[in-house]
Amino acid sequence: MLQGAIAGLASGGLYAVLAVCLTLMARLVRVVNFAQAATGMFGAFCAVWLVSTLGWSIPLASIVGILVGGALSALLGWIIATWLSEASTSTRSAVTVGPLLLLISLSFIMFGNKPQPFEPIIQGPAFQVVGVAVSWLTVTTVVMAVVIAVAAALVLDRTSVGTKLRALSERPITAELIGIPSRPLSVAVWAVTGVISALVIIIVAPSQANDATSLSMLIVPAAAAALVGGFRRLDLSVVGGLLLGALTGLVAQIDALSAVRNFVPFLVIVGFLLWMQRKEVWDAAR
Amino acid sequence: MNKRLVSVVAVAAAGILLLSGCSQGSSGGGSGDKSPIVVGSVNTDSGAATFPEASQAAKAVFDQFNAQGGLDGQKIKYIAQDDKGDPATATADARQIVGQDNAVAMVGSASLIECELNAKYYEQQGILSIPGIGVDRGCFDSPNISPANVGPFNDATLTLLYGTNVLHVDHVCALLEIAGNTKPAYQAAIEKWEKVTGQKLFYADYTVPYGANDYTPYLVKAKQAGCKAIMNNPVEPDSIAMLKNAQAMGWNDVTWLLLTSVYSTNYANSVSDAGKGVYVPAEFYPFTEVNSQTKAWRDLMDKNNIKLTAFSQGGYLAATHFIQVLKQMKKDGKEITRQNVTDALHNLKPIKDPMIGTPYTFGTAKVHDNNICGWPIQLMTGTNKWAVADKGGDNWLCIPKS
Repeated sequence: MLQGAIAGLASGGLYAVLAVCLTLMARLVRVVNFAQAATGMFGAFCAVWLVSTLGWSIPLASIVGILVGGALSALLGWIIATWLSEASTSTRSAVTVGPLLLLISLSFIMFGNKPQPFEPIIQGPAFQVVGVAVSWLTVTTVVMAVVIAVAAALVLDRTSVGTKLRALSERPITAELIGIPSRPLSVAVWAVTGVISALVIIIVAPSQANDATSLSMLIVPAAAAALVGGFRRLDLSVVGGLLLGALTGLVAQIDALSAVRNFVPFLVIVGFLLWMQRKEVWDAAR
Repeated sequence: MNKRLVSVVAVAAAGILLLSGCSQGSSGGGSGDKSPIVVGSVNTDSGAATFPEASQAAKAVFDQFNAQGGLDGQKIKYIAQDDKGDPATATADARQIVGQDNAVAMVGSASLIECELNAKYYEQQGILSIPGIGVDRGCFDSPNISPANVGPFNDATLTLLYGTNVLHVDHVCALLEIAGNTKPAYQAAIEKWEKVTGQKLFYADYTVPYGANDYTPYLVKAKQAGCKAIMNNPVEPDSIAMLKNAQAMGWNDVTWLLLTSVYSTNYANSVSDAGKGVYVPAEFYPFTEVNSQTKAWRDLMDKNNIKLTAFSQGGYLAATHFIQVLKQMKKDGKEITRQNVTDALHNLKPIKDPMIGTPYTFGTAKVHDNNICGWPIQLMTGTNKWAVADKGGDNWLCIPKS
């Protein structure tokens, strides 16, 4: 049982990193970015293409791939900040489903629909816990999730940029009236989360299913993890990601539960919504 | 706002779970003269798992046949439809080709779902199908469908046979990805191996999911059970993930007994650490070997820029078998109609080809899983290349008749 949970942490760290990105986006630019993993996937595929077709070195290609991921995310952010600045969160979020599907299709067209030959950057077991090897990758993604969450919290609470970003998300019109540049700041948030997603996907892609669809669909468990923090709390989104990974690993160990295993993120989403609604009276909840 | 946001996420996430893939147009057939012989195929060309090469290869064979004058001037019109992996499209495609275009036979299909869905319709319409690649279970248990390939179930028996009889590995375990109702077919394949060798599977897990991004938990379970070899029926991305997960947890002394579904150069490039080796009984003579056995196929594929894969071998073979049938009918003075083609296939004498271990037959049996030979190949750690297996890789490995 415990082994399964530890084995699941590798995915958990990845979900946590993406969940932190999603939470930041929701808090600062009022959007749930469904293309969060897809932009990262596309950046990663570009990196692989540079290595396998043009013979670039892996570090250089990875950096370019990460920048491509960031640029795609920034472009999407710019479109939303320009034309949908006043739109509701639901509308802004729905718009990101388009780029998600577009990027999957585009990568099919450009790179084929087979998994890509990623070279592992980080590999091998790090240490043993209760007879299960914990891989370096698990260590990396878990540490990354915590570091990014802490860094983001510090930036938001302790710096003037953070204050401006919070002002923009809480009171966008007031913030603009007192001269805080809204578009550059929100595009910057998109770019930073795009870079982080591409980075984590480039790190994990070599060690898991890495076709366009599976990588882009990481958004589903990541969204479930972000929900644990209600898309507000960074600490809880990290915890949510790790728990979700551990839970998936745990369920995989129990044959009787094999039927629900693929629905774990979905069950988390539904369970959380029911919990949110627990005090609602009928009329308000409908 | 928070609550609304949360609802949006939930609804959209549920929606996204159901969405993926893309679609593109399908390709039409060639043109013929007054009354071309219409042949069709239903293929999964777009979506998450695709097999476009089979029908491309079949088309190349027919184009070459037409360019050489066809059947005494009568050309073949080949209609290859894309079912996009979608059941409604797959059934509509078959009805279009059989009902409206009046095809005489289905040749070179390669679809995730088509056989199962259309087998009954083919029976009603009295039309026979020679899939280039039979994928789903329906391709191997219908009187009207006889694929050119071995298929995943006999391939599963073969890979187990190779593991125990040639490599002499013990503690063989099965981690199976079960799609739809394929579990009984895989169980029957394992029973076949048990009957031939007198061995039993050490451990079996039928709950391994398709398209998971991390298989570590399943591997942890298998490793703790004491498995030394793993028989697995994955699609490429899943297998790559599994091998990488095994490597990440430091499980390096495991032998992988896999199926032709992972036999591609792309897969070899993606796998640098293969434990004690990945072994596959290739369903056709290995396409990575450049020699006289694959020359005719290879030349035609290169000429038409079609990828060299097991799928294009299957499509090529289905089409060449079909042309042999047409030539024989012409010799016998038969008119090329659906009924006559069906009769000819029912009375077909086995066709030999250097790329297959079992001569191809159709016949009147209720089910068609006659192809029982594979050519053992291996992928070793650090090579990134498929090679003919060191042991027993100098001939076809066949399931003994019990």
